[in-house]
Amino acid sequence: MKRGIWHQLGDKNQIMAQEQIETGNGVGVILSPRDLALEKATEYAAVYRELEAEVLWDPQFYLPEFSNDNLDTYPTSDHRVSISDLAKFDAAQLGKLRDALQSVSQALQVDAILAPAVIYQAGHADLLRLNERLLAIAREVGAALGKPTYATVVFGRSATSSDQTLGPLLEHVTGLPSDGWYFGFEFEPERVPTDRATVKRCCTTTLALACTGRPVMHAFAGLMAPLGLGSGATAAAIGHSQNLWRFSPERWQPSEPGGGGGAPPRFFSRSLWGTIVHPDELVQLDAALRGRVITPSAFSGSVTANPPQPWSKWDAHKHLLAIIGAEAARLIGTGGAKVIATGVVQLLKDAVALHADIRKQTGLILKDGTSVYQDPWRIAMEEVLRDNDGDYKYLELL
Amino acid sequence: MPFVVSIADAQARFPQYTFLAALTPSEQKAAFHVRDAAGRHLCLKVIAPGYDVRRVEREIQAMQALQHPNVVRLVEYTFSATGTGTTHYILEEFVDGDDLSVHLTGAPWARPRASRFFAAMADGLAAIAEKDLVHRDLKPSNVRVRANEVPVIIDFGLARHLQLTDLTTTAQGARIGTPAYFAPEQFTGTRHDVDHRTDLFAFGVLAYQALVGLHPFSRLGMDYAQLQTEVCASVAFKQDATFKALPPMWQLIVGKLLAKSRAERPTNAAQVASILRKLETV
Repeated sequence: MKRGIWHQLGDKNQIMAQEQIETGNGVGVILSPRDLALEKATEYAAVYRELEAEVLWDPQFYLPEFSNDNLDTYPTSDHRVSISDLAKFDAAQLGKLRDALQSVSQALQVDAILAPAVIYQAGHADLLRLNERLLAIAREVGAALGKPTYATVVFGRSATSSDQTLGPLLEHVTGLPSDGWYFGFEFEPERVPTDRATVKRCCTTTLALACTGRPVMHAFAGLMAPLGLGSGATAAAIGHSQNLWRFSPERWQPSEPGGGGGAPPRFFSRSLWGTIVHPDELVQLDAALRGRVITPSAFSGSVTANPPQPWSKWDAHKHLLAIIGAEAARLIGTGGAKVIATGVVQLLKDAVALHADIRKQTGLILKDGTSVYQDPWRIAMEEVLRDNDGDYKYLELL
Repeated sequence: MPFVVSIADAQARFPQYTFLAALTPSEQKAAFHVRDAAGRHLCLKVIAPGYDVRRVEREIQAMQALQHPNVVRLVEYTFSATGTGTTHYILEEFVDGDDLSVHLTGAPWARPRASRFFAAMADGLAAIAEKDLVHRDLKPSNVRVRANEVPVIIDFGLARHLQLTDLTTTAQGARIGTPAYFAPEQFTGTRHDVDHRTDLFAFGVLAYQALVGLHPFSRLGMDYAQLQTEVCASVAFKQDATFKALPPMWQLIVGKLLAKSRAERPTNAAQVASILRKLETV
């Protein structure tokens, strides 16, 4: 697993990921098809490989029965059934699913096999057994293709809500035979997670997986990518769409029509570690504050122009990915997980101070709670550093 | 109650071997140091009548799969029944030396010695784990130490293959082995909770004994319930003056081996071996 930022995609961002990799942002791509046919995925996978990016494919059995016309093009689609039916699969059915996994993995020429898995939930030993069986067939595919196999470990909300519910699951999964971890963590349904304790739990879970000595992909990391890297993850996956900012099974539910199509673009600021609406909110800042807030990228010329120009939503998305990728690369360049975590604390501390200055000087409260999560994240990261020093030292010994 | 066979009776039953000494018997097996006609020194284990043949066969399967300098080598297994009785025995390599318990009387050990010894033992455990086996009964008497201080893990009588159905009854749950070397999950968990990291906990107890000179949890006169409380809940072992005087990295690795949660223990013995070798000069 290449170390760094990976692009997670599968709906409308294939070309955007390609452009990012071409500009040096990102070392790999995770194909998480939500509405992308196998034929197209195969074409893009070849493009990404040409750019020397690694390619993974997430078979996405989180809501195993979910499918649509494009997903039906994957041979695995024949095995998309409810969890209870999946649990009843006999050896022959599992063999067919294994063959389907192998077929797609070969078509996409993936660099490792991601095991299909349902979401781990508290108190469901049956799900542990089911995921063990699914991992076993994925390992057979890995062995047949000569590729490593990563266990998919996605903890649902019933598990992530407390240490007591998560602990037994973590004991189980860290004992699974795998060559690495594809890790997701479900938060409460907020745009960005704000609960300090849950964010800390996500970080300590990442750290526990990293302490197994195997590579960890923090999937659906989004804005939390620096925290993942600061918790020992080898790589963190990002995407522009908010359904890729955090793991949520809602992603695999049929889309509702409408949405925020007409909303103005948001500028992702490194120094805020959050977004500010362009131009509505940005124009309310004086020049000095604007100078602190605007962290430019190759895609933000319209924002930095004088006077500011209309900015396309797609450029705003590209800018977001560029800024997260650049910051992740900077943090990785500073050292190991502990050093990165210390850098993340500083990044968030600075962001909190800037948000406070904006409030103080302009009275402006940024929309959609974009200033409310940085401080809980900072405290969570500080607590991880304080309470898990042994794990960081152990990580250095590996 | 150990299964005892006198050396004279054993010699009469197995005249093809020269019986040199009786070794410590277990409930299931009477063990002897013997020499065969070719002059090889071997360990002959006579299996108690009525002992579960399937369990013995599991042990044999486990041992046959293993070829490692830090794991005892199986030479022969015989089970035959005639009208006059059964012949049921295991022949293993005889590991010349002492039990680890003899060496632990000289604890605390110097750290370089502990590093070399336990790294080699972890190599053996890694080989066991590689075959998807859990030993489940690591304790000083199940580790032989050769004259050159090379450890050899012996006695796979309670070993479990993680991919095969356990022969343990449900009532026994995870409580298989020797309580003083139980991991928390052996006291409180189910069979599903026992994995390679269970062996690593017992390994941690042995390492602590070698480095500190005391058992981390068990004290004289302690009953089963008290021992369970200590193993499952207490970290008082970290307050021992000798332990606290160890370099931080040693405290860290032993502390992780003795973690209550399997998630906090090292994942595998190969990782532990690698770390211990790095600590040889620390």
